Amino acid sequence: MSSVATIDDVEFGMELVPFEPNTSLESVRAFAKAVGWGLGGRFNDHEQARKEGLPGALVPGIMAMGFLTTMIHRWAPAAIVERIDTVFRAPLLADEPCSLAATVTDIDSHTAIVELDLSVKNSANETRVFGTARVRLPKG
Amino acid sequence: MLDIDDLKARFLNLEFDSKDFVIDPDNALTVARMSGETLPEFTDPTHPDFQATPAIIASLASGRRLPINFPSLGGIPMDGGKAVTCLAPVKPGSALNGRTHLHDIYTKSGRSGRMVFLVSRMEIRDSEGHHLATSDSHMVIRERPEA
Repeated sequence: MSSVATIDDVEFGMELVPFEPNTSLESVRAFAKAVGWGLGGRFNDHEQARKEGLPGALVPGIMAMGFLTTMIHRWAPAAIVERIDTVFRAPLLADEPCSLAATVTDIDSHTAIVELDLSVKNSANETRVFGTARVRLPKG
Repeated sequence: MLDIDDLKARFLNLEFDSKDFVIDPDNALTVARMSGETLPEFTDPTHPDFQATPAIIASLASGRRLPINFPSLGGIPMDGGKAVTCLAPVKPGSALNGRTHLHDIYTKSGRSGRMVFLVSRMEIRDSEGHHLATSDSHMVIRERPEA
């Protein structure tokens, strides 16, 4: 099932359909500038970031939070993300693909609340960001 | 090593910062689009429920990172993660206020020493005092043995 309308459409263990996030340096730059982190090389320039001791320009951790929130909204357009909690385990690099995953770990049909486990992996399949979300859905 | 219980007793739940914000609608739109968002509530500024995504709420930073007189832990602080709790829509362009306190302090020990985790919690309210969202920032510091 690609889109969920109500709590009745959700099954325990269900995996959300991921999308391919845009981690291009251009997109990362725009995001970083919009949140006020546009200065310096960290999110702007691979060479400058390497001079600062980083492996390259990074994807901001909160951009990964943004990708995960989007995945939830694409899965269930009527969902309200009540809480999203993300742990930044290691950096994601700009211009490198990453993959998103989310699994339903709990369903409360009475309150119409769903709990999700979340992760973002890099191209080497290493988990870089993980977390949880609490999502409210319309009742069936 | 610092006494974590003492730090908790002295610093937890004491507000140490208050800051006013206005989320720029264009910036809210850019953050939503660069996140791949497609819902009009986040991507159409003319939508009646146009609102900020959790990601841009998480970017709101307090004026101070830690309370005055908080002791140095010796290491370089790293951004360990963010959490956002949404209680009501946060409207770009409207006046907001964020009040910040230390919500939790805890440690994890490994082969390379002790890591101290500091959780700063910002409560975001509108101009009428309605609590709209809470943003938690997890700061991780590798404690130096002599600290």
